[in-house]
Amino acid sequence: MRQKKVTELGLLLLTGLVLMNGYLAVSLANHQFSYSNFSITVILPAFWIFTSMIIRRRFLCADPVLLPLAVFLASIGLTLILRLRPDLFIQQAIWLAAGLLAFIVTAISFRQAEDIAKYKYLCGIIGIILLLITITFGVDIGGNKNWIVLGPIRVQPSEFAKLLIIVFLAAYLSERRQLLTYATRHYGPLILPHPRFIAPLLALWALTMAMLIVQRDLGSALLYFGTTVIMTYMASGKWGYVVLALGLFFTGSTVCYYLFPHVQVRIDIWLNPWADPSGRSYQIVQSLFALGSGGVLGSGLTFGHPNSIPEVHTDFIFAAIGEELGLAGTAAVIMAYILIVYRAFRTALASQIPFTMLLAGGLGVLTALQVFIIIGGVTKFLPLTGITLPLISYGGSSMVSSFILLGMLFAISEATSTQ
Amino acid sequence: MNKLDIPQKAIRRSIYRVGLFSIGLLVVLLSYVIYIQVFESDTLAFHPLNRRTAEAARTVQRGQITDKHGEVLAFSKLSQKEYRREYPYDAVFAHVVGYDSPKYGKTGIEGRYDGYLSGQINPEKRLGAISQLFTSSAGNTVVLSLDAKLQQIAYQTLGNRRGAVVVMSPKSGAILAMVSRPAFNPNTLATTWDNVSQAANSPLLNRAAQGLYPPGSIIKVMVAEAALKEHIADENLQFNCNGSFKIGPDYILTEVNNTAHGRVDLKHALAVSCNVTFGQLALNLGRSKMAKTFERYGFTQLIKGDIQESTNQLPDFSRLNDGDLAQTGIGQGSLLVTPLRMAMLASTFANKGIMMKPYLVQKITAPEGTLLRETKPEVWLAPAGSKLADQIADMMVSVVAEGTGSGAALRGIQVAGKTGTAENPHGDSHAWFIGFAPAEDPQVAIAVVVENAGAGGSVAAPIARQILLQALR
Repeated sequence: MRQKKVTELGLLLLTGLVLMNGYLAVSLANHQFSYSNFSITVILPAFWIFTSMIIRRRFLCADPVLLPLAVFLASIGLTLILRLRPDLFIQQAIWLAAGLLAFIVTAISFRQAEDIAKYKYLCGIIGIILLLITITFGVDIGGNKNWIVLGPIRVQPSEFAKLLIIVFLAAYLSERRQLLTYATRHYGPLILPHPRFIAPLLALWALTMAMLIVQRDLGSALLYFGTTVIMTYMASGKWGYVVLALGLFFTGSTVCYYLFPHVQVRIDIWLNPWADPSGRSYQIVQSLFALGSGGVLGSGLTFGHPNSIPEVHTDFIFAAIGEELGLAGTAAVIMAYILIVYRAFRTALASQIPFTMLLAGGLGVLTALQVFIIIGGVTKFLPLTGITLPLISYGGSSMVSSFILLGMLFAISEATSTQ
Repeated sequence: MNKLDIPQKAIRRSIYRVGLFSIGLLVVLLSYVIYIQVFESDTLAFHPLNRRTAEAARTVQRGQITDKHGEVLAFSKLSQKEYRREYPYDAVFAHVVGYDSPKYGKTGIEGRYDGYLSGQINPEKRLGAISQLFTSSAGNTVVLSLDAKLQQIAYQTLGNRRGAVVVMSPKSGAILAMVSRPAFNPNTLATTWDNVSQAANSPLLNRAAQGLYPPGSIIKVMVAEAALKEHIADENLQFNCNGSFKIGPDYILTEVNNTAHGRVDLKHALAVSCNVTFGQLALNLGRSKMAKTFERYGFTQLIKGDIQESTNQLPDFSRLNDGDLAQTGIGQGSLLVTPLRMAMLASTFANKGIMMKPYLVQKITAPEGTLLRETKPEVWLAPAGSKLADQIADMMVSVVAEGTGSGAALRGIQVAGKTGTAENPHGDSHAWFIGFAPAEDPQVAIAVVVENAGAGGSVAAPIARQILLQALR
């Protein structure tokens, strides 16, 4: 048990070196080294080691690689933000600190995860309200219409709504598992339970369609939808839900494709970006140029031209990593995400309680899908969608919600390994 | 806990599957990113719309282009903090070397070897951040196989006539001179662009490699080789020429001035360029063997190399009537070839039937002198056997010694050649000469074409003579 604490500390120290090294590489090459900014690269590692020490007072056996992986990705993100938008560096450092605080608070609150399940409807309702607020009052900032502006505060409630909805789903599904598994109603080849039991699922699916249509947010719609469906499958083990859901989604998407020009444009750009490389597909073409020019080892920090990509510090930050750090950087980032997802499922499989199993699994799926959708989008593997790259993209909501997610996983991993 | 065991097993199984699926998704994504950054990397990095290469190139001193003796043909000069390209020979090398203009792009060697000249293709660029240690270095030097002196002589000899000259080494394929007239001055492109790009006589076109002309009688050397190879003729067979040759109901192939050559053997027929004989040979060879001969000599494929050439145009042999087939045998009809290919044809007979791959770039060196790339002479095709090739070479010697090509004869050096006078729809005939010298140990092969200038023997052969004189000096 002491072993885990030492592992975590060692990894956190190493990650501190990654951040410091990144800061020095960028600031020295740009001749804008300053002691005040440099002190941030000392304070932040100190803060995450402090976080580990606080957490380890209560959690003896929790997963020791989650926090280091998170701060590793955040360090790469901070380095890239310093390089792309030096004016946002301090702000992003503050978001990281806020994320670490959120991590501590979440981990401690989820110490008794089963208790959270009691508030499932509260979570679900708040989640849905947050989504509805976003859909109705969302403001377009930087191409994403999912911002809520309250005076000086700007948040993306959907970043938090997704976590609340996963908590709700995990609790709801683990409770109704039998009903979903031993379905009685026959609909053609599909066997489904009584509509009453799947009503909340259908409501969620309807909500994602609304997101797609009203907000033009293909990425978030796919993310919510995919996570909901896969969690339903995890709880029930029935392929029928997946088939039904895929059918619904494709029908919905096809209808949208023919009804809404903006969906058509996105798909056309994806299918043939070279038809209009300086116009509609400018962003994705520039992103591909950046990735290709980076090659295996990249141009080196500050020596590329990633600023030719619009919105490079948020949605397209992955392309900037690809240009300046090359495949070495992009592969490291993807492998770090793979490790997080792996640890999430390991925790889920080691868990004994259906609720925490589903919760950890759901968080794993959410992370995998989000990374897949956004990286797939900027590399033209999928149609482009505007969602953030967890822990790396600039933005407070995304950063804090990612740390909340990891805090939950951390707490669940503690509970599983003690049993 | 035991009570829940069985359903939990089911959940665990589905979670396990979903876990594999999720990680699988990310592994697929990683593979795709590897594909983009490794296998598609060069395509994307050097894509014309990708401004990175151009931007990086502006801060680097572009490499020189020199002839084979190191004579500078293009270099970069710093003026007002930006590098500007200068061409000391003005228009003489315009088509081969090309131009590098921020406004009009890059052509010729400047375009094809941009990666080397700008230094962007250098291996140290693949070292990531470490490559920044090398940025002070300039671009690489591209050394051409051209001989600046010979090029100048060819340029001056051609004078203000429209046409092209290609001089090459038959044994290696090295291009020694490549001239196209009219030319343009790459130094003054900014002020003269409108004139140059819209002029009716197309000065921007590299006639030597991209100009398409009917070859006229110079193609007869190839037809003669085919006739011997296919045993349609041998050196003793006699042909009878009475000045014209009636083919089918309504076509008559005629000699120039209706001269009757009487009884001639193949050697003599080539020397006097007898149309009747070669029309007859083409008919005897037939459509498929004629088509095969053109294929054997590489006319159906492009040379993948330094030189940007036009596709030679062949008639659709299977659909030719007899008259058109006979026309093809004397290099007329819808057949169109480039001077480069005609120089290669002459080279083949100079080099025992082996056609070398032509090249312009001899080597590329880094600024500090390291050799980055060197061209090794490469066999492109072997269209003729060495005995037959020598036999044709002999016949070509007699063309210059006692036939139509006497204008190319040099004192003390045996020259082999063939003249051509190609009828065309644009006015007077194009004058052609192809050949090589010295005949016993060929050092240079040449093709000359002068547009709408009259007979090959009186116009093109003397030009070739001047150039051969310089080349063999």
